[in-house]
Amino acid sequence: MLVKLKIWRQTPTADGAFARELVDFEVDTFEEATLLDVLDSIKHHQDGTLAYRKSCRMAICGSCGMRMDGRAVLACKTPMKELAAKGRVPVIAPMGNMPVLRDLVTDMTDFWQKVRAMTPWLERAHHGDAPADGREHLVSPEEQQKITKETMCIMCGCCVSECNSMEADPSFLGPAALAKGYRFVGDVRDKRTRERLEQYNGPHGVWDCTRCYFCNERCPKGVDPRDAIAKLGAAMFDHGITSDRGAKHAQVFVDSTKGQGPVPGSFGIPVPGSEILYNGHLSETALIPLTLGIPTSLTPNWAGMGVKLGRKGKVPPPWHGALHRVKGLDEVRRLWRVLEGKESAERRGGDLEEPAKPLPPNIAQGVLTQFTPEQIFERTGAVVSSDITAGGGKLPPDQVDLAGYYGAETVVQRFVAGGGLDKDHGLSGPAPTDYAAQQAAQIDAHGSRPGATTSKDA
Amino acid sequence: MRVAYVRARGERIERISVIASHDVVIVGAGLAGMRAAVEAARGGVDVAVVTKLHPVRSHSGAAEGGINVALGNVSDDSTEGHTYDTVKGSDYLADQDASRIMCEAAVDDILELENMGCFFSRLPNGRIAQRPFGAAGRPRTAFAADITGHVLLHVMYEQLLKHGVKVYEEFFAIDLVLDDNGECIGVSSWDIKDGGIKTVLGNATVICTGGMGRMYHGTTNAFACTGDGMAMAFRAGAPLKDMEFMQFHPTTLKANGVLITEGCRGEGGVLRNADGERFMKNYAPNAMELASRDVVSRAEWTEIMSGRGVDGCVLLDLTHLGADHINRALPGSRELALDYAGVDAIDEPIPVRPGAHYQMGGVHTDNWGMTPLPGLWASGEAACVSVHGANRLGGNSLLEAVVFGRRSGEHAARTVQGKARPDAAAAAASISKTEAKVAGLLSATGPRADELRESLAETMYANCGVFRTGDSMTEARDTIATLRKTYDEGVLVQDKGSNFNNDLTYAIEVGYLLEMGDVLTRCALEREESRGGHTRLDFVERDDEKWLVHSLTTRTIDDAKINVGTHPVTITDYQPAIRTY
Repeated sequence: MLVKLKIWRQTPTADGAFARELVDFEVDTFEEATLLDVLDSIKHHQDGTLAYRKSCRMAICGSCGMRMDGRAVLACKTPMKELAAKGRVPVIAPMGNMPVLRDLVTDMTDFWQKVRAMTPWLERAHHGDAPADGREHLVSPEEQQKITKETMCIMCGCCVSECNSMEADPSFLGPAALAKGYRFVGDVRDKRTRERLEQYNGPHGVWDCTRCYFCNERCPKGVDPRDAIAKLGAAMFDHGITSDRGAKHAQVFVDSTKGQGPVPGSFGIPVPGSEILYNGHLSETALIPLTLGIPTSLTPNWAGMGVKLGRKGKVPPPWHGALHRVKGLDEVRRLWRVLEGKESAERRGGDLEEPAKPLPPNIAQGVLTQFTPEQIFERTGAVVSSDITAGGGKLPPDQVDLAGYYGAETVVQRFVAGGGLDKDHGLSGPAPTDYAAQQAAQIDAHGSRPGATTSKDA
Repeated sequence: MRVAYVRARGERIERISVIASHDVVIVGAGLAGMRAAVEAARGGVDVAVVTKLHPVRSHSGAAEGGINVALGNVSDDSTEGHTYDTVKGSDYLADQDASRIMCEAAVDDILELENMGCFFSRLPNGRIAQRPFGAAGRPRTAFAADITGHVLLHVMYEQLLKHGVKVYEEFFAIDLVLDDNGECIGVSSWDIKDGGIKTVLGNATVICTGGMGRMYHGTTNAFACTGDGMAMAFRAGAPLKDMEFMQFHPTTLKANGVLITEGCRGEGGVLRNADGERFMKNYAPNAMELASRDVVSRAEWTEIMSGRGVDGCVLLDLTHLGADHINRALPGSRELALDYAGVDAIDEPIPVRPGAHYQMGGVHTDNWGMTPLPGLWASGEAACVSVHGANRLGGNSLLEAVVFGRRSGEHAARTVQGKARPDAAAAAASISKTEAKVAGLLSATGPRADELRESLAETMYANCGVFRTGDSMTEARDTIATLRKTYDEGVLVQDKGSNFNNDLTYAIEVGYLLEMGDVLTRCALEREESRGGHTRLDFVERDDEKWLVHSLTTRTIDDAKINVGTHPVTITDYQPAIRTY
């Protein structure tokens, strides 16, 4: 098939500027060809000076992030067939929000520095926190699932390329780094959750995301960085880390729609009259003073902006809420109560009306090696029944619910049931003979190898 | 950058580009390289990593299925069983002491990875889950869905950051630096970002540059897998071992060779021919699809050659597993098949064929990763300890990278501790040669390097593939000789610039591939038997009398003459036996 495309060629000149030129290319290639295959064909057969990064060509190394028609893509994961069939001529450019080094190559130094700023490694409170039995931490499949998407991240930079917030504030930590942050906050093994949340809070942090969802939209691996950022925000509320204006804004926003004032203002003092402001609709007028605190919101800049907005009809007048009660406000309030009640019921592992469910014995036994029953109750609301004794021992294989995990009739079960491929492991085979000794005697001529057990090995 | 001025031979003052001197320099930042770096850093020495990519771009990340370890979480298992399976899988060519070291160290090393934060798939009781893999007697392969390599690579990068290891990113290694005594004292690289030769010195240099699959059409390997470290070590005088053993993975996509993990068969996927028959019953009636990789690849090739293939492929059928199971356990494989074969594994079988996957051979090392060349260590796919012998078991390559990466880092650090750092002056002669080489490449004319690589890849896949004969390999050897001659006369590097010149680096890579292809072919011609990944139609039997030995290839530094010799195999507990699955 014939693929046509235009590529932004950018070459640094002596004075540090760039010579930019949009160049047309035409490539005759195979049906399944990706954008990367097309670039390779250009490089090898037309113009060897075209610069771009690549390595795995299977969407796992993250090298070939670039823009096609203004959207960040992995070149190796972008088939050209449909575009070619439609006769479209896409424009290929380097990723955004990063300095260009040449052609389609960007400088990712800043990207990696932000990743590094997340303290991107697992941290336990102190070294002795490793599992006491010297084995693995016990993590249930459900707990592990919580960070599955963030673990998929290949650090290609496509999300950062598209980040609107970073365009306004280049110091914003950005979607990739924050997703990496959630990978540890959401990891039950990490014991620095609170410190991490404080670290990711504040200027250029979690709350500076504008929720445009471009990162979710453009991520080639389904990481959904915006969701990770939302989960970080929720975790901050859980830990009472709500000092950031972004957090306050979110809180006021929610309270406003609840129709359940009064709400705490600056220094925790209830805002007078806030109950009337909350009549079940979003009160934009109240958002600013309640987010910023009344003293700040009365400073000329903010107050002036409020007046301007009011004049242009962008916000309802302050008395609007007092005069207009939302139809069915009682139902709104009831819905909120149900929602909040359901949430807490879910956290306790069951319906509100039912008593808390005990943990399944196998999980409980595992979890008990790391937490006391009190801690477990505090964290999950689940009760550990008293007949399970604490201890580090693993369950015998026949008590592990493999069917539940692997699904019925899988190869694993056939293996386990049949005792494996080779029941005696060949261990009853012939005994070692002098042959080994003969071999050992011949070797090590150059002093560097294979003596079966050399002194170096001891 | 520190530029050193030294007085070289004669009275000429030469300006050379030594930018730093460390205790240990690691070349390559995949799983083995980073594991070595972390261990060396823990050993209290100053360690640096040189990589032509960024560490997380390394090809370890593409490993999908898992890492073998006898944890016994889903069955009673033992390191003894793991060792036996590894030795049997190797067609008895693995050194049994080395295999035992690896399988015994596996338990602690994998638990340590978990403690570092590695994201493993779990059992309902919270333990690390394990799945069956080819030729393993127990479900022994720990995994993270089907992105195990990706997860391990990233966790090791996290540790690299935690330990503050210096990384020279996008430094394309060209030559090992030898001092006047012939000892290795570092590596000279082309700085991809800014251009120029930059030399990083170290008392110990550890080669962890991975494989060389790019010499084949139909390979699972990344563009970066061009045998750089093996070729550099070979040119510096280090011997290569067992280079004739290239593993062909049974399930790769036709369009671009992308790997579909063995985990698909571990989870219950089956192979069918054009008639819908599960043909493995005719080749390995007990293990079926989970026989050793060489066995399955040969079976597939035989089916395809006998006209029972589908468009040059056989069919990997997962449809009976159901959407839930596929989405939970094999999401990456489904995605790859969708992207590169246009097939949704939930609805229809995936066409697959054998593809070059893993080089069992590599730089000859001892059980601590030390090579016979003083100052040089190697680990991972670039090295041959040998734990894989003639055929590697799925799930043992990540393990080798972790265990022997750690051991080589530890040993290198211990060996060089307290030693004075190499001096820039000692590197002058070596650096001048490298600079001349690059200048020559930039000024030469001739065909484009890719033409040569295409011819090499074609002849290797056709003549030195799953099945080989003396005639086919002779043809490959002669073709390669012509290609090497053409290459030496000059290839055209169109890009003359110093900023991101990957036209130049590709030309150098093709040079590595041609030399390593030459070595592979010569070794394969010498070995007149069939063993593991090396199957000859003119010598169909394994010949333990003559060939229960490693091949050991050396090259004279001055006239580049290649000589294939042998090296004994260490056999301790398991006598060679007939291998059936």
